[in-house]
Parts: sequence; C-alpha cells; structure tokens
Amino acid sequence: METEVKDQLVSIEKPELVAPPNWEPVIMGILCNWCSYAGSDLTGTSRIQYPPNIRIIRVPCSSRVDPWFLIKSLQTTADGVLVSGCHPGDCHYITGNYYARRRFLVTKKLLNFVGFHENRIQFSWVSAAEGPKFAKVVNKVTEEIKKLGPLHLYKKENFEKK
Amino acid sequence: MNYTKQIQDIAAKLFTEGKIDVFVGYRMNGFDDNQVPVLITDPQDVSKLVFTDKSVFNLVNYLKTDHTRRKRVGLVVKGCDSRSLNLMLTESQVKRENLYVVGICCEGIVDDSGHKMQNCVECVVPDAVVSDELLGTPSGQKPYMVNVDIAALAAKPLTERTAYFEEVFENCIRCNACRHSCPLCYCAKCCIDQETATLYNGANTTSAAFHALMTWSLHLAGRCVDCRNCEKACPSHLPLHLLHKQNESVIYENFQEHLAGVIPEDRGAFYKYSLKDPDDFIM
Ligand code: SF4
Ligand code: SF4
Ligand code: SF4
Repeated sequence: METEVKDQLVSIEKPELVAPPNWEPVIMGILCNWCSYAGSDLTGTSRIQYPPNIRIIRVPCSSRVDPWFLIKSLQTTADGVLVSGCHPGDCHYITGNYYARRRFLVTKKLLNFVGFHENRIQFSWVSAAEGPKFAKVVNKVTEEIKKLGPLHLYKKENFEKK
Repeated sequence: MNYTKQIQDIAAKLFTEGKIDVFVGYRMNGFDDNQVPVLITDPQDVSKLVFTDKSVFNLVNYLKTDHTRRKRVGLVVKGCDSRSLNLMLTESQVKRENLYVVGICCEGIVDDSGHKMQNCVECVVPDAVVSDELLGTPSGQKPYMVNVDIAALAAKPLTERTAYFEEVFENCIRCNACRHSCPLCYCAKCCIDQETATLYNGANTTSAAFHALMTWSLHLAGRCVDCRNCEKACPSHLPLHLLHKQNESVIYENFQEHLAGVIPEDRGAFYKYSLKDPDDFIM
C-alpha cells in the first residue's frame, strides 16, 4: 500500500511554524483606478478564471500607494501584497507611476531586509486592455505566496492581550 | 579637532555686533568629558562653549524648538549636520537670513570608547555644505561606501535576519526619542501617533513598534543624512541606522542620486523620477 507523504507547509520566515491544513493565502491587491482596476474588470467580463485569494482595493493612482498600505496589510490579514498600476508612460496623471516606482523598490528592499521574503511584496503593470495578463499575474503571485506559507511576522493580533 | 577658541570668539563677536539672539553650541556636561548641547542667550556665557571630537550631537535639531524659532540664531554644524540644515532650508522650516552658520570641516567624532564613529569612517561629505564661516581645511568629498553592518546582515539567510530584527523591534519601548532627536522629523503632529492610537489602541507592542519604525524610516528615506542623532538618543540602543542606511544604499545604487542634502534646493530622491529607474522587479 502506498501512502503519499506530503511535505508540511511551513512559514518561510519562521520554519518552526506549520500552516494549518487547507491553508489558503490572503493577498491584498491594490490596483489603480485607470488601468489595473479596469484590467481586472475586463478579466471578469471576459470570463477568465483567477484565484479568489486576492482582495482588491481600488486607488486613484499607483502613486497614491503609500508604503504604509503595504506595511499595514502585511501586519493585519495579508500574507502578501500585489500592487498594480498603469504601464510607464500610460499614467492617467502623466508621471504618477514613475514616482511610485521608486518608492516600491525602496519599500520592497527594506521589507526584505528586515526579514520578509521578497515574493510577498509584488508589483505589476497591467493596462485596461490586459485582462488575460491580470489573470496570469494573480495566478503567479498566488502560486508563489502559497509556497512561502503563512506570514507570522509582526501580526497585530499576535501581540494583543486577550 | 579642537575649535573651542574660534567658536567662542565668533559667538562673542556676533553678540557684540547684535547679529544673533541665541547661539547653539556644545558645552561640557559637568561630570565627565562628554558634551551636551547648550543654547546661549547671554554674551557672558560664551566661555562655556566648546568644540572637540566629542561634540557628537546634531544641533540643527534645536532649530525646531520655541527657543530658536523666529529668532536670529548662530549655530555650529559639522558635515552631516549641515546637510540636514540644507534640507530644512529647502523644506522651508527655517529662514537662511535668520541664521549665522559656523561650518566645520569635520575630521570625525568619537564615541565613549574613543573610537571614531562608524558613520564618520563612512562619511562622504565631511565639510559643511552650508556655512557663513568655515573652520578647518576642506578635504573634499569621499567615495561612497556601503555600511558594514548592512553588508554583513544582507549576506545572512532570511530566517536569521528575521530573528535579528524581531529582537530589535521587541526592544523598542516607543518613547519616540528617535523622532524627537531627528532634525528632519519636524511635523507638529506625527501621523504615526494617530495610527498607533487607532490601529493599536495606543498599546506598545512589537507589532506597533515595527509599524512605527518602518513608517518612520520610510518618511526619512532619501532625506536621512546619517548623523545618527536618533541612535544616540535611543534608550534601548537599537541599531536604527540599519533601516536608514538600507534605504540610502538602495536609493544611491539604483537611482544614481547624490546623497540627501548635499545639493541646495534638492528635496530628495522621492520628489523626482528618472525614466531609467529600474523596472525589472515589476511584472
Ligand atoms: S533619522 Fe537619525 S541619522 Fe537620519 S537624519 Fe534623522 S537623526 Fe540623523
Ligand atoms: S515620522 Fe513622519 S510624520 Fe512622524 S514626525 Fe517624522 S516625518 Fe513627520
Ligand atoms: S528611541 Fe529607541 S526605544 Fe525610543 S521609540 Fe525610538 S527606537 Fe524605540
């Protein structure tokens, strides 16, 4: 008789913590109103399937995304974040995403430096016409974050008195 | 490095000419050979002023207080301090015409054990960039070096870094001394306080400390001048420079920016962009 021994899924930052069975990651998706949110809309109206792990927030522009949003998402429910905006040159506000790009890199490197796996913080450029690309991005991000296991770092509720 | 005599003379001259209301300098603390900042308003007190390689604090921070606001101020700045002054001028926090700046061509300050501080070893701009009067001989800009602690930590595996920083954030007591001692944290109401009050109900947890210190360091990304006033003020002796130097090195290496506050009227890396900024981390 053969039994399948499945590797237990552990949190990559804290290998001593094992994920509960059937654990699914929660991914915070922060999308800009003009491109990525419209792109995700197109994914839905074109009936393309993508994982339900992503929870989407709409912001006016990718440069509205304060690094704070990422920190706070990771500290509350999210196991990873995906920020998406218009392609460089396509920004509705002309240059917003250029400013955002700098902040994203610094935030990603800083979070990685203090001990978050770099795949937990992801960025993409998705235009309003790229429905299939949005599905692909969400698939890839979900898959990558699933491999990392649950996030247990600095979670707000872990430190609260019951 | 000893400019005690020169600084006393300059301060005395400024008071007799009536050019300043208050002079910000250093004095001996009175019980060991360390120094503390002093605000002098009485010309008779100028003999208290000293300046040696133990003058560690960043005096630009005192331009935030009510004792100096809207007054004519004389102050002493080292290389790093002058960069933070440059940023405060750019951000319209102080008026240049109200200041008389004594710039020092710094040779490095020493810590309690007599060693040159690490930020002075790695200092890029030792000469004051803002000054009305420059003391010492300028030695010019030095090449940029990645901080040794950053390089050592970045080479470690992820789990070790995680454990290391968890201990760091756990030891923070949320006294906010880091924020108060930083010349560039001048906001009348800090947004972190509001968030701590709502998100954490004012509690001091590791999670709240992480949230506060990360936000704080990102508010100073591209602006921090590595004077390490924050680190000297921290009662828990946390290695706060790690967060700032990490941001600084990412900005310096990826955006080809000069360091914060070196160029007048330059607001820092996050206030501009380049079409050549790295894009490969974005899908
Ligand atoms: S964060 Fe610290 S090192 Fe940076 S400018 Fe402020 S006090 Fe100086
Ligand atoms: S942490 Fe940010 S909001 Fe708070 S005082 Fe400093 S710059 Fe201002
Ligand atoms: S000075 Fe040190 S202990 Fe106080 S809030 Fe800042 S990091 Fe925390």
